[in-house]
Amino acid sequence: MCSISNRGRWIKPFMIGNILKLMQVFKTALIILVALWIFVGVMVSDCRAAGNTSVTAELSRAEINAGEMAELQVHVSGADNARVPQEIQVDGLQIRLTGQSTQVQMVNFKVSSSVVYSYIVMPMSTGKFTIPSIPVRTDSGTMQTAPLSFTVLDSSGVAGQTGAGGGAVPVSPQPGMPGFAAPRQVPQGNAPPTEGRMAFGEITTAKKKIYAGEMIPVEISYYFDARYPVQILSNPDLASEGLLVERFPDPKQSREDRDGITYNILTFHTLLSAVKPGSIDVPPVKLKTQIQMPGAVPPGFDNPVFQQMLGGQNPFTQTRELMVKTPSLHFDILPLPKEGRPASFAGAVGEFDSDAVVANPKPLPGDPAVLTVKIGGKGNFRAMGPPILTDSDGWRTYPPADKIDSSDALSLEGVKSFDFTLIAQEKKTNSPGSEFSYFDPTTEKYVTLSTKPLPLKASPLSDVVTPTATALSTPVQPSQGVNKSPAVTANSNDGEPLSSFTVRSWKTPVQRAEFLIGSLAMLLAAVSLGGILHFRDLQTRQGSVAEQRRRLTALWASLNSGTLDAASTYDAALEYATLLGVSESDEVILWITARRDVLKYGVGGSVLLGSDERSKLLETLGKISSNKASS
Amino acid sequence: MKRRFYHLLLIIGISFQGALHASIPNELNSANQSLSAGHPAEALTAYQSVLSSPDFSNVSAPEIWYNRGLAEEKSGDSLAASLSYRRALLLDPTLTPARTHLTSVLTLLGISEATPWSGPLFIRFHPDLLVLGGAVLGWLGALALVVLVFSGRYRKNKRPGLIGLALAALIFGHALSLLGAWADPRRLAGDQAIVSGKGEQTLRDTPADSAQAEGTLAPGSLITILSRNGAWWKISSGPKTGWIPSTAITTLLPPAAGS
Repeated sequence: MCSISNRGRWIKPFMIGNILKLMQVFKTALIILVALWIFVGVMVSDCRAAGNTSVTAELSRAEINAGEMAELQVHVSGADNARVPQEIQVDGLQIRLTGQSTQVQMVNFKVSSSVVYSYIVMPMSTGKFTIPSIPVRTDSGTMQTAPLSFTVLDSSGVAGQTGAGGGAVPVSPQPGMPGFAAPRQVPQGNAPPTEGRMAFGEITTAKKKIYAGEMIPVEISYYFDARYPVQILSNPDLASEGLLVERFPDPKQSREDRDGITYNILTFHTLLSAVKPGSIDVPPVKLKTQIQMPGAVPPGFDNPVFQQMLGGQNPFTQTRELMVKTPSLHFDILPLPKEGRPASFAGAVGEFDSDAVVANPKPLPGDPAVLTVKIGGKGNFRAMGPPILTDSDGWRTYPPADKIDSSDALSLEGVKSFDFTLIAQEKKTNSPGSEFSYFDPTTEKYVTLSTKPLPLKASPLSDVVTPTATALSTPVQPSQGVNKSPAVTANSNDGEPLSSFTVRSWKTPVQRAEFLIGSLAMLLAAVSLGGILHFRDLQTRQGSVAEQRRRLTALWASLNSGTLDAASTYDAALEYATLLGVSESDEVILWITARRDVLKYGVGGSVLLGSDERSKLLETLGKISSNKASS
Repeated sequence: MKRRFYHLLLIIGISFQGALHASIPNELNSANQSLSAGHPAEALTAYQSVLSSPDFSNVSAPEIWYNRGLAEEKSGDSLAASLSYRRALLLDPTLTPARTHLTSVLTLLGISEATPWSGPLFIRFHPDLLVLGGAVLGWLGALALVVLVFSGRYRKNKRPGLIGLALAALIFGHALSLLGAWADPRRLAGDQAIVSGKGEQTLRDTPADSAQAEGTLAPGSLITILSRNGAWWKISSGPKTGWIPSTAITTLLPPAAGS
């Protein structure tokens, strides 16, 4: 085939061709291997997520000032149906479940899913607290989170050490933001954009000159370049000394084009209020994020086949943390004017109206009536104190219970109800009125609202005399110098002990054997009485029937004897028919009566009845008798 | 007539309850004098002594429970006072002072309880009166009806008005008796208790300290016992249901009454 001399000439092309082919095969195998590795990796991580359940608890801030709130999040991975407590009991803290969100993400080809339960932590006092282990019930059993330490500083505590400085911990992306966590197409190339263009924040507020106690809405928006996947790791750390910040509800997501770049916008709304007058600088509000940046593609992976298999995406990304900030903000806090401040002013700032209602306008004597005063409108509901009651003479009153029904997520608008418990000390036909004052920052004046007394009927217990107390009463020995009367009356001197007593059983009458025996005896008596009466009636009725039979026999004999005159014969016939039960309106009775009257009051009544007529009469009566007997 | 009726009830009551020990009124007077003189602790000891006497095992006296509640209230123990007032009202729902003081101490304890539907009824009539009076009326109606239906003399006269009247008395009387028995607060008292532990008590979803908290109950809250599991009792209070240690609650009926 080939000469030796030719071998060297042909070997080289043959070898080079084979090596190239082998390399091509090796490269294709490598691509398939990498694709398989990605697929297996995804499946394994997914299975691992489903198989291994873990729970962790994290605080948004480990240290806050009094009046602020923190967020506690419980992350449950690998379990879909977890149950967590609605409230967590810690003395000095109110910890309530506010919602849950599900997070499914794939970062660096690793898919994981978790459910995040968010709690709001409201301090009721200052100090160091330990949030105990939180039980999480899943299909595979109950798991516990680790206890967490939490510090609440008083108002003189160091401000600004919270938030990111306090060690912000990861939180899930907010619900309704699917694009923020899921990886998406990352631009090719290795040159990342500048941070300012990639993500930035804005903060806006309607007013920068506000009154102490006035609630103002604040909007914080964070812009993220839509081309880069972003994971949100914290809530905005809005905090400043002298400012009270409400909790952040779920943020809203939108999209906007700006300077040729499409941005995903995350907008948080909250309320601010200042506790004291002066000047307040709010530092930039930071949001901790994690952004996937395009990374360098290793040599050999820039093959078009490989790119096509990955759908044009670049799997070689780098993740970096980015703190997105808003500009700082300055507030001038004005003091509430002392001039013209009403006595009933209790810290309400805003615009309000008031209404009152009595839930039970006719309470029982001695029972309380409940007067509900509703303050509705827009303002600082949490900080406002209760209205004062007017015309309350003759009433015993108690500090009211209050409840806020918000009509917006921020609790800026709504109705705060104050329930006053009132006990009449004398007969009352009207409830007390109420007076409520607030400061209107728009008109910069105090406004006083009042509600009029409402009609009701209430009386104290001294007006009542217990009517049944005489029953079973046992008077105290007269020798002891106590009330001789066996009657126990409601003591008109409230608070004095009752001097005589009645004996009552702990059991109801129905539960006592005496009652059941008595009832059975009465039943027996009724049945016996009925039986006796029925028997006697039966006897009487049987006696009268026999008498009736005897009379019928005698009448029939008289009629047959032919010894009676005509009128007497018809009399006897009439009685016979009546005894047989023939109705007075029957034709036979009418005929006998008519014939008897003719004979009695006319002619022929005293003579014997003709045999034909008597036979006909007897035949008629016989038929009646046989009909009755057969029926 | 009314007096005779009460006398009849008195006779029935005394025959039901038996004679009380003669020394009780003396002890009661002594306790009342201590309470009026501003010595609630002494009075409380005396009331406790009276109420724990053997004479008061199956029966009791609402007025003495009320007085005991006053002594406890004046001693500053609102929680114990609320239980005494509840027991007084259990025995006699017409005892208005007890209801007023119960409302007052519950307000201090931060508890708001709705007045039961039977409240307006029992402010005038004791359940015993409804049950016994209703039963007497009902059985009189029943006897009259028997006479009118089974006696030939009345049957011949055919007086539907009288029969209707007797029937109405039969139905109304027994309905009244049933109503009194059904609405009697003692009927359900065997399964009722109050939260007597110090501070708010946590309801758990299972009988264990580490179980999930289902809510809290304020001291003095009225609860219904659903089941018992050793030292843990399952209870309900309004919409809340859960397990609570039995040491944190006190039954509405005194232990002697329960036995």
